[in-house]
Amino acid sequence: MSAEKRSIWQRLYNGETSFDFLSRRRLWLCLSAGVILVGMASLGLRGLNFGIDFRGGAAWEVEAPGVSVGDARDALTPLGLDDAKIQILGGDTLRVQADPEDRSRRDEVSATLAELAGAPVGQVSVNDVGPSWGDEITEKARNALVVFLVAITLYITLRFEWKMALATLAALVHDILVTVGVYSLSGFEVTPATVIAGLTILGYSIYDGIVVFDKIDENTKGLAASGRLTYGGMVNLSLNQVLMRTLNTSVTALLPILSLLIVGGQILGAVTLQDFALALLVGLAASAYSSIFIASPLLALLKEREPRYATIKQRIQAKGTSGPLTPAAAAAGGFGATGPAGGGEPNRGTTATKTTPPARPTANRPPPRPRKKGKRR
Amino acid sequence: MRRGLVVSLVAILVVAFGSLGATALAGNAPQLGLDLQGGASVVLRPKNQVSQGVLNQSIEIIRNRVDALGVAEPDISRQGSNIIVQLPGVKDQERALDIVGQTAELRIRPVLAPVPISETETPPTTTTTVPPTTTTVAGAPPSSAPPETTPTTIAPPVEAGGAVKTTTREEDLPDQEVVLPEIDGGEVIARYRLGPSELTGKAFRSARAEFDQSQGWLINFSLTGDGAKSFGDLTTKYQGQQVAIVLDGVVRSALNINEPITEGTGQITGRFSQGEARDLALVIRFGALPVELAPETVQTVSASLGKDSLRAGVIAGVVGLGLVLLYMVVYYRALGLVVLLGLSVWASLMWVIVSFLGETRGLALSLAGAVGIIISVGVTVDSYVVYFERLKDEIRAGKSIRASVDRSFSRAFRTILTANFSAFMGAALLYWLTVGSVRGFAFFLGLSTMLDVVVSYFFTRPLVIMLGRNRIFTEARWLGVARGLAAPGAGVGARPVGPAAQ
Repeated sequence: MSAEKRSIWQRLYNGETSFDFLSRRRLWLCLSAGVILVGMASLGLRGLNFGIDFRGGAAWEVEAPGVSVGDARDALTPLGLDDAKIQILGGDTLRVQADPEDRSRRDEVSATLAELAGAPVGQVSVNDVGPSWGDEITEKARNALVVFLVAITLYITLRFEWKMALATLAALVHDILVTVGVYSLSGFEVTPATVIAGLTILGYSIYDGIVVFDKIDENTKGLAASGRLTYGGMVNLSLNQVLMRTLNTSVTALLPILSLLIVGGQILGAVTLQDFALALLVGLAASAYSSIFIASPLLALLKEREPRYATIKQRIQAKGTSGPLTPAAAAAGGFGATGPAGGGEPNRGTTATKTTPPARPTANRPPPRPRKKGKRR
Repeated sequence: MRRGLVVSLVAILVVAFGSLGATALAGNAPQLGLDLQGGASVVLRPKNQVSQGVLNQSIEIIRNRVDALGVAEPDISRQGSNIIVQLPGVKDQERALDIVGQTAELRIRPVLAPVPISETETPPTTTTTVPPTTTTVAGAPPSSAPPETTPTTIAPPVEAGGAVKTTTREEDLPDQEVVLPEIDGGEVIARYRLGPSELTGKAFRSARAEFDQSQGWLINFSLTGDGAKSFGDLTTKYQGQQVAIVLDGVVRSALNINEPITEGTGQITGRFSQGEARDLALVIRFGALPVELAPETVQTVSASLGKDSLRAGVIAGVVGLGLVLLYMVVYYRALGLVVLLGLSVWASLMWVIVSFLGETRGLALSLAGAVGIIISVGVTVDSYVVYFERLKDEIRAGKSIRASVDRSFSRAFRTILTANFSAFMGAALLYWLTVGSVRGFAFFLGLSTMLDVVVSYFFTRPLVIMLGRNRIFTEARWLGVARGLAAPGAGVGARPVGPAAQ
């Protein structure tokens, strides 16, 4: 198992990575802050490009082979729809989008477009939205979001602890702000599909975070209690342990989304699918990033302020730098998954891991955290 | 233990594929939403503040109208103060929306004559069948109310043979003579020839169902200033005759005018049940407060656009699913096949439940819902990844595959439960708190999360544990679990190695 000869993929596959996610946490946090700041500046200056479901307005769609944008504009100008946005989607679908003032001419436009396309009026799809509808769905979505955040915070606090809840919340807010910022910068249209996708991303983000925190929670009872690792080191180990899972999950989540975006949206021209997939893509990237680079470092930051972990950190730092532990090494040492808590098995670490000195100052050892009943089998 | 696993595995396979077969045999399939099969949907909002009762009344009226249109699976529901009307598959969308959006008006028309219920039926032999016995009386304190209805004697139907058609909605104009039905429990119980409208519901100020010791349930009503005068004229003109309260083309009640009502208040008595009295009071009150519904959003989807969206969704879903499975098999080998089988159990349960709910509860699969399902494939596969990575951890720690499969499941299942619970909670909150397409999406996301837990426990667990005990699977060169799990060299996984095995 000489790790030096193995490629990074083999190391990933075998759980021999020891990426140090935490040491540059200031960099990660600054990076995110920068991205968010730019996004928010853009939001303040340009705002968001809301679709008609939010602003009100009407959109028509009809299959019109051979009809050009120019033809459509010529046909619609007499109706007073000079400002209408006219597009051709997926080859031969004509899409016309107009302002709320033009809603009154809904049926006339339908008839005109049907004539243009040489199809019966029933073939024209219409989406006509009143100006106040957007406010209503926005309000509902906002309420849902707030309740959702509160509920998740409570749940994580009960299931784990409030510091983890806080870290998760920070990651969620990060994801929301980044996604909104990207939408403002890029000028992508915000539709109800976008909102739905955004809310899904929150689900993913929490899901990701919980898998990491579950591992941290478990390790806290094993490794950290032994006093050999700082809390940060333990978080880092946990991140490496679930790294392959994070990567696999991101890939498996990404594949259907890419399929929706490329196959459904681009090739087959389904606008709604494209709306969904775009927001999912942006949000998924943000949430994969935030669960590793925001939530966990933040948790370590919070926890290392606790006297218990602060003393461990001081002591370990006094002994010299402690390199990150690989999951394989931790597992071989009997830690992690189910191993006994204090096994003193020598480390088979693949990096220059500083192994535990044989003579541990047991007197300084903090008392192990009381274990909750039924937590481990 | 071993037996329990087999039972669990067989049971879920029987349930999943048995019910799938039954669904297919019964010819059930998921009900498609209007964005996938074409149709029209409109969100109506009252122009002024109205009570829930009035809103429910409006929904009932719209439902009657839609039923008359012959739409297969209409969905009319109230969300907040809005009424959402969904008409999947409706042919003439413009006309449907026009009819649905009309404002209903309460009209009082004089009864000219009862008309036989249907032309196919033999006309009634005598004229004694006077419908619901209701009576109006003057004066608010109704002590001097005449008892019971006076059975009126009205001339037999004018047309011999009874070939009288019920007036259609379009022809139901206030200034025309019309023939309208009285409906109870969906059946026409009487028809009347009615004169032009003499008064609208605006004349009424209020109406309330009350209980009276001597007369049972009755309705007390009061009139507006103008209404009192018009109503006085009307009751004077038609004293001793019948007038009908008509709402939206349906006779709600035919009343005998016993005496002129000029005081501005009156009473309707008859052999009402409590419910009947309440309904009638509501109808009158509703007429007093006409609900003008404005379309907030109107969406029509042509059948061909719906079909295209469906096709795009299905193809994108299949391609995405195929890629995910390919990745899983390449990465986890034989365990990847477990994912394949698990997903087919999951998909078959999903199909059955969605078909069943579509059939019984009118649940429609919308495009947003379909996306929810495609997306949840990611969450579902994640459960396998969590489990298998856990398994790798254990084996890396030197445990045998045989010992690891069980232990790592119980640990991984906790993670899966925690994570799925939070995802489910999110979906449930979205469902309760939002409107429109978001709800459909949340429903399917929540459903798939639940199914994921079920499949993990009843299918994945027993299958993987049994595979872990089978040498052929753990040692096979290409599909070997050990290889997929990165055990130190294929084959050794079957015996316990390493110091940590306790």
